[in-house]
Order: sequence, then C-alpha cells, then structure tokens
Amino acid sequence: MFELTLKRALLALTAAGALAAGPASAAASGDPIKIGGLYILSGSAATYGKFAEQGIQLAMDEINAQGGVLGRPLALLMEDDQGKAAVGIQAARKLVYQDKVQALVGVDSSGVALGLVPTMKELRTPLILTHAATPHATGKLCNDYTFRISVNEEQNMRAAAELAAKTGAKRWTTIGPDYAFGHEVWEYFGKYLKKFNPDAELMKETAFPRFGAEDFTPFINGVMQNKPDGVIISVWGGDLVNFVRQANNLGFFNQGFQLMFAVGAATEVLTALGPQMPEGVWLGTRYWYAGYDSPRNEQFVDAFKKKYGVPPSYNAEGAYASIYAVKAAIEKGGKADAESIAKALQGLTLETPTGQLTLRKGDNQALIGPTWGRTGPMNDADKIRSLVDAKTFTGAEVTPALEDTGCKAS
Amino acid sequence: MTGIAAALLNSLDIGLLLFIIAVGLNIVFGVLNIINFAHGALYMLGAYLGYSCMNQLGMPFWLALAVAPLAVAALAVLVDRGMLRFIYQREISDSLLLTFALLLVLNEAVRMIWGTGIHVVEPPAPLQGTIVLPGGLNYPRYSLFVIAAGLLALAALWLLFNRTRLGKIMRAASLDRDMAQLLCINTRRVVTCVFAFGAWLAAMGGVVAAPMRAIDPGMGDKIIIESFIVVVIGGLGSFPGALLGAVALGLMHGLGGRFLPDVNLVLPFIGMALVLLLKPHGLMGTGGKA
Repeated sequence: MFELTLKRALLALTAAGALAAGPASAAASGDPIKIGGLYILSGSAATYGKFAEQGIQLAMDEINAQGGVLGRPLALLMEDDQGKAAVGIQAARKLVYQDKVQALVGVDSSGVALGLVPTMKELRTPLILTHAATPHATGKLCNDYTFRISVNEEQNMRAAAELAAKTGAKRWTTIGPDYAFGHEVWEYFGKYLKKFNPDAELMKETAFPRFGAEDFTPFINGVMQNKPDGVIISVWGGDLVNFVRQANNLGFFNQGFQLMFAVGAATEVLTALGPQMPEGVWLGTRYWYAGYDSPRNEQFVDAFKKKYGVPPSYNAEGAYASIYAVKAAIEKGGKADAESIAKALQGLTLETPTGQLTLRKGDNQALIGPTWGRTGPMNDADKIRSLVDAKTFTGAEVTPALEDTGCKAS
Repeated sequence: MTGIAAALLNSLDIGLLLFIIAVGLNIVFGVLNIINFAHGALYMLGAYLGYSCMNQLGMPFWLALAVAPLAVAALAVLVDRGMLRFIYQREISDSLLLTFALLLVLNEAVRMIWGTGIHVVEPPAPLQGTIVLPGGLNYPRYSLFVIAAGLLALAALWLLFNRTRLGKIMRAASLDRDMAQLLCINTRRVVTCVFAFGAWLAAMGGVVAAPMRAIDPGMGDKIIIESFIVVVIGGLGSFPGALLGAVALGLMHGLGGRFLPDVNLVLPFIGMALVLLLKPHGLMGTGGKA
C-alpha cells in the first residue's frame, strides 16, 4: 500500500530528448546503448540513489563527449527499487524486456541484491552491483551474469577485524539494522576477529533495531548497560544520522568504547552530521574520495565537485566505475549485446578512481579493499569530517580465496 | 532501576510525539469521515518548513514552531476547498484514493524543493544536552520537552473538546453532520477548520520531531505507518484511543527495544493483531462515529 512507485519516465525522456537534439560535435551518434540503473530514489535513503545517478551521469557524459562506445552513445534509464526486493525484480524485468537495456547497474540494499541476483540468469543480462555488499551475491548465489565492482561485506569486515584486533578491545558487540546487512556485518566481523585475536569475545547481547527505527535510544542504553569494550555499528543512511545524534545526547561516545562504523564514511551522512560526528571513531567506507593519490581519482573528484558541488560519495564512485566497466567490456568483446557484455566482464581489468581493478573470473567480485580511518577535524572546504590515520586495504589483503567464497558457478 | 526509568521515559517521549500526530488523523476521521493518507506527508512538510525557517531563514526554534504549522494549515485549507469538499458525500474509499494522490504529490514536491539529502536541525540552546534527574538518571533535555509538549497538547485538546463551544460544535458535527446543519451550524466551515487543524497538528509534530529526527524524504511514510498502528490499537476516531494507542506503541518501542531487542520488530504487529481479534474497533473505538 505504501509502495510509492514513481517511475523515472522523466529521466528517460530527458535522455531521449538530449539524443534527439543531437550531440554537438564529434560526439557519439547512432543508436544509443541503453544501460539500466536500479537504485533507491524515494524515501529515506533516496540520497544514495541520487549520488549513484550523478556518478552514472558523469561517466556517461565523459564517455559520450569522447565519441561513445563503438561510436554509439550510452543512455541511462533509471528505476526506483525502493530498497525492496520485489520492486527491484519487477523494475529489472521492465528494464530488460520493455526498455531493452543491455546491462544493469545498481542496487543499494543487500535485501534487493539477494532477490535480484538469482533472477539475472532468467534475464540473461549482466548486473554490476555498485553498493549492496552481501557476500552471497558473489558467493553462494553467484552466477555468470552478476558482478560486483564495489567492496563486499566480507572484504570490509576482514579489514575492520584486523583494525579491531589492534585496538586491544576484548568484548565486542554490535548495533545494526535488522535485515541481511546488519546480521552479515556481525557474522563476518566475528569470523575474522576470532582469527586475528582468538581471545576476543563476541557478546551474546546484540542490538538489531529495525531499519528506519528513528529512535535508537533504547538500543543505545542497552549497549551502554552491557559495558562492551568495542562496538561495530552497521546502521546507515538517515538511521545513522539519528543514531549519532541520539548517541551524542546519551553520552555514548564518552564511554571509552572502541567504535567502528561499518559504512560510516558515507558523505551523504557525514555532510548532514557535520561536526556532530564525534572525532576519533573508526569509519569504514567502500571508497573515500581523499583516499587515493592518483591522477585518475583526482580527475574524477574534481569533475564530480565541479558538476555537483560536493565531493563524490562511495555510492557515486561505484556507479561511475560500473559505467566504465560496461564500456571496457563492450570494447573488449567488440559487441554491445547483453550476452557479450556479460562474457567480457568476466576477468575484466580496468582503470577506476580506486586504481586498477579486476573483476575476478569465477565469482565476479572486484578485487578491492575498503578504506578505514578515524574521524579528524572538520574539512571546512567540503564541510564534512576528515579521516585521519586512513588506511586503504588492497583487494589482495582482504579478499578470500575463490574456493572459500561458496561460489560454484561456471 | 535507572535502566527501567530511562526506558519508560523514552517510551513516553516516543508515544507522546506519536499522539500529537495520530490525534490529528483521528480528529479528521471523526468529523470528516475520511482517512487522510497524506497526514504523514503533512508531518514531513512541517519538519522541512521548520528546517527552512531555522537553518535557511535563521529563525529561532520557537518562531519556526509557530510559523511552519500555520503555513501547513493554510495549505490544508486550500486542499480542503480545492479537492476534498467534492468527495465528502462519497464512499470512504474515494477519500483514500484522493489523499493517497495528495501524498504522492507532496512527497514529490518535497523532493523537488529540498532535494533528497538528509538534513538536521539543532534543538534550541536551553534544550540541548542532558539533565540529571532525581535518582541520578541522565536524560536528554529535548526528550523531556517532547514529553511536556505532548502533555500540553493532551490538556489543550481535552479542554477544547469538553469545555469550549467550538469543541462542542466539532463533536456535534462528528455525531451527525446533517442534524448539526439543521441546527444552524455552518458545517462547511467546521469541516474546513477541522481538516486544517488536523494538518496543523501533523506539522506541529514535524517541527517538534525535527531536532531529534533526521529530516529526509521518507520521514512521512514512516510516521503514517506508525500513526495507523496507533489508531488501529486505540480505535479510529477516538480521542482517548489516540492517547492509549500512542502510549502503547511508545512502550512497545521503548521497553521492547531495551529489554526484548530480538522481538521488538514484531511487537507492534502482535499488539495490532491482538487488538483486532479481541476488540475489532480498537481499545476505545466505537466502530465509526466517535
């Protein structure tokens, strides 16, 4: 009853209009190659979908200005998956069967990914995940059509556990949203923490408030009462904004706990919180715009800031990189149809803002690591907290061996 | 002990904020016999306008608290005159459809005006931080203010309905609109006023919630679900029912989250199912007219 299905027909129209008007110069001509985007565009987490859309648009503008792919321009068709699996699957079918897109990029929610990934075999169209982090998408559910260009939760939690073990904190608990993502963060964090620090204790008392809970006070009080040494927090989006403000009020940050936020360095959240995000807590992210000292990253960050006025979030980077992956796959295979793109994506290596990146043949997971850092002083130019002691893990450091992923495709 | 006290106070601030919002939904149903789907969107509009008043126009919190709900009430007058008055005589399902459309329009308008980003506003200076209560409990000042605001709304509404002529007219119109009209009450004006008043309450809830809840484009959808749970438990159209339902839901969130974190998700739905099985019209409901 509350599914607010507002189709993004407007966007498609804009794209079509832009194409009809005709690109000015040497830019691409001919039939556009259509790519479908599936993100959360309404509701509390709409800001994530917005950033993804901006990342995609920037990549397409760059590519189209340089002649497109095989001489054809790229065109985007966006759909709102509302963070719901059923809506996401329906939207994917529409994009593939009705709009005839040749590749899909997207999904913010692991819940949507878990529903959508098995469907890709039926749709016979490649899906590049750019945000959803459930390891199963490139693990036990893996298939020849599903790829992930962003960090998955196992990679992220292996890095987190390594840092957590170094803090010396012994008793750990978690606060996370009560769906796949929150529980997987705790599962994989625990798995690797035990490896790095066999003395560590994973507390029985955990807190899983519902996604969108608004008031986290009871859960924060509960955790403080149990006096852990460390807490891994996987609350995200607007929930994280609420959580941090309420935790500030309750003195949660002055208890001497080691605090690690699994996806804390999301610029969507840090911008809203500003100085209210306390200093000295650990924030993880799939991509940190200041975490890579390369010309490619600098070019991306500058172009993004110039176009949208804010630094790119990790979601923007993932979506941006996925379009370049589609481009590289089409050029590698020489064909722009869904089957050829899916085939060419396997084992593909390309240059992205995070460096040279390979989609591993077998599970189709990008060999890539997260950035973790402690919150530092405010960055006044970007109006968000900076990260200090930031460490960007490499894919080799944090990615499990193929045989340990549970992926048994092809 | 302080753990239980904190959880109870927290339940009360969650519950009383819900009361301010849900009671508007209930009054509108009681008098107009329409279920206003857009009530949550009006709450969201109140919060966003409050944000603009404070963070963009630099108004103090108290001024924003006065201005934003009035602006939303003015919009509600237009909605009532321009849309709703054409369907008062029709099936209740028509009003559901129309207010659902209104919800979509308002949601999209909010996204067009304020974007998709998450915004925060600060509580006014005297209400920032925590205060030590008797018994050594450290509690956020703003949460205490929300409790006070909820109790004030409760008292004011009780006085309005039971001690004023306007309240009597509203009750008369809700009991039998035709008879009220025969008795020379301008029911048309009453209806518009009541709808605007319901919207004002929703927006009031939005401004009160703004300093402690993230302002984002999904906040209206979240609150309308909560409000419907409140009215199902308490009874549609019932004023004391809104209070009872809101406090019950507050307790489920506050105590449930603190002491039963594993099952807190399903508590509101178990509560709703039990009420529907045992008292289908809600704890205080009469099955239609209040």
